[in-house]
Amino acid sequence: MSRKQKDALLKGVIYGCAGFTVVILAVIIGFIVIKGLPGITPEFLTHQYEDKTTYVTTGAYVEMQEGSDENYVGNMGITLGLKDGKVVIDAIDKYSPLKHAVDGTGEEYEVKKGDQITKFQDYDIDGSYKENVSGGKLTEEEFLAEVRSTMEAAEGTSFKVKVVRPGGGIVPMAVTTVYMIVLSILIAAPIGILAAVYLIEYAKPGKLMTLIQFAIENLAGIPSIIYGLFGSVFFVSTLKFGYSILAGAMTVSIILLPTIITTTEEALKAIPRGYRESSLGLGATKLQTISRVVLPNAVPGILVAVLLSIGRVVGESAALLLTAGTVAQIPKALIGNSASGATLTIKAYTLMKEENDLTTACAIGIILLLIIILINAASKWVTKRLLERQGK
Amino acid sequence: MKRGRAFEKIVETFFLLCALVGVVSVMAIILFVFYKGLHPFFGEDPYSFTAFITGTRWAPGENVYGIFYMIVASVLSTFGAILIGVPVGLMTAVFIAELAPDRLVKIIKPAVELLAGIPSVLYGAFGLGVIVPIIKKISPMVQGQSMLAVILVLTIMILPTIVQLSETSLRAVPKSYREASYGLGGSKIQTIFKVTIPAAKSGILSAAVLGIGRAIGETMAVMMIAGNPTSGLPKSIWSMVRPLTTNIAMEMSYASGRQAEMLFATGVVLFIFIMIVNTTLIMLTHKAGETK
Repeated sequence: MSRKQKDALLKGVIYGCAGFTVVILAVIIGFIVIKGLPGITPEFLTHQYEDKTTYVTTGAYVEMQEGSDENYVGNMGITLGLKDGKVVIDAIDKYSPLKHAVDGTGEEYEVKKGDQITKFQDYDIDGSYKENVSGGKLTEEEFLAEVRSTMEAAEGTSFKVKVVRPGGGIVPMAVTTVYMIVLSILIAAPIGILAAVYLIEYAKPGKLMTLIQFAIENLAGIPSIIYGLFGSVFFVSTLKFGYSILAGAMTVSIILLPTIITTTEEALKAIPRGYRESSLGLGATKLQTISRVVLPNAVPGILVAVLLSIGRVVGESAALLLTAGTVAQIPKALIGNSASGATLTIKAYTLMKEENDLTTACAIGIILLLIIILINAASKWVTKRLLERQGK
Repeated sequence: MKRGRAFEKIVETFFLLCALVGVVSVMAIILFVFYKGLHPFFGEDPYSFTAFITGTRWAPGENVYGIFYMIVASVLSTFGAILIGVPVGLMTAVFIAELAPDRLVKIIKPAVELLAGIPSVLYGAFGLGVIVPIIKKISPMVQGQSMLAVILVLTIMILPTIVQLSETSLRAVPKSYREASYGLGGSKIQTIFKVTIPAAKSGILSAAVLGIGRAIGETMAVMMIAGNPTSGLPKSIWSMVRPLTTNIAMEMSYASGRQAEMLFATGVVLFIFIMIVNTTLIMLTHKAGETK
């Protein structure tokens, strides 16, 4: 083979490999977007995950109201509709008595647009739908008219209503993810930044420095499943946090440490020696120099470290699976039984693994991708601004 | 003045403590994981360590815990991923660093960064939704979950690491090397393969080692596409496999007693692999730092 042919062949291989890398990315993103897009609905973004059934007691308007819609229920101030075989509230008056209904524990429970009404007093609406509409006796319009007239004909001043607030949304996981991000960064960022300050500003080369560097490099290489094992035996069992958001955040903050330390170190190293010397020369102490001169100049670098950390927390799964649990709820405490919660990523995993629901998992995937793209863009922007400021 | 000095000293100590958190974490991780993981082999009613490390069946219900087939699965999958991922990643890096016009670099580099940022669960979704069905069609076995699926997904997952690190080390090769080669009549491609890549060798090696670390430790993506059988060495790339990592993640949420301890023991074996990889990597990067 001549040299020219050989060169052309190798060049072809190089172009092919680069093309492969880009195509793979396009295929992955294309797959997730195409598969997940049908799952992204307003309900998906705004609802709780589980259906929530509540028995409420409500009053009624003293005078029957007139509505423009034929399915308007005059004594309740709501307009009924049908969705997937359920009677739902399509619209609700500003002063509807249902807005001030009371649940079983005596707490006020505001019935909202979109809630399903499955039972009114003794009238089993769900059962009636199955019997009449599914049974072919009534059309949907006739059925709705029957529900309306039954509700309007009810006598008395207080009524028992079974209300179901439909789930299927990602709100609890989104909130858990935000909690997890805030908590783990609150723990890891101060420790990581101060550690970097020590390593760059104070530490002298020696055994201690080598040990610290060795430990940090090692931490960066440990896979998250090992962190998960550690978190589950230390935070969950030994410290008795249980599967909780704090156990998860503590575990993740150890994972974040190497990233935060090395990124901050780079930022500190980039600050010219002259800055420090001028400050010290003007009589400032070392601590004053660090807090007034060094750290303010390192802010963009620290910001990048925090952004990278957010990306890490959002994508983390194996470690959180073993420490924060898989329950789709908003954690109500830091530790204990009501403190567990699944982040978006964990939920995407359980949906795939346990419920075989690839569509919803990919819908969550789209949200995750958007977050990652946003973070990448933001850290690029910060770095660019930093370079501009340094006049490079 | 003296009080100020004392305060400065206290703050310095505090900074030092923060720096030591990393050291303490590593030690705590080793201590807890090893303590829990080595427990079943000592004390009352010990489980034979040889049976554990050479066994090819995992049946907690019958008190049988063998992980040899998982070690084989982890090692072979990682090896396969490196075999494909390193050449493809290196060539992509060569393209970015040496050949591509700026316009294309502006597209490919963010693409690689994005690839690096995608959560592993989504790689799992991709594997489950695309790779496994394709393998199912061409495989002689009935299922698509297989070692091949694991290798392919791991390959994609280590690509960004390989590309980014190789690119950095290729760019670090002094311009004069290339100019010398051109001066001697070498073509661009010859220069790349005979001069630039050999000069960036240690950086590329570090990238490969880091890739090994990532591949052997990957859990969530692999768990969905590996098949996770309870026994048997993989016979071909079409066989289902159960890497060490997925063994832990699959059962940890409900395991207790001996079974949980055996999962920690699996973690210990994984940890030892990672330690070897890590130490190699640290030695490589420090050596590379010295030669510069």
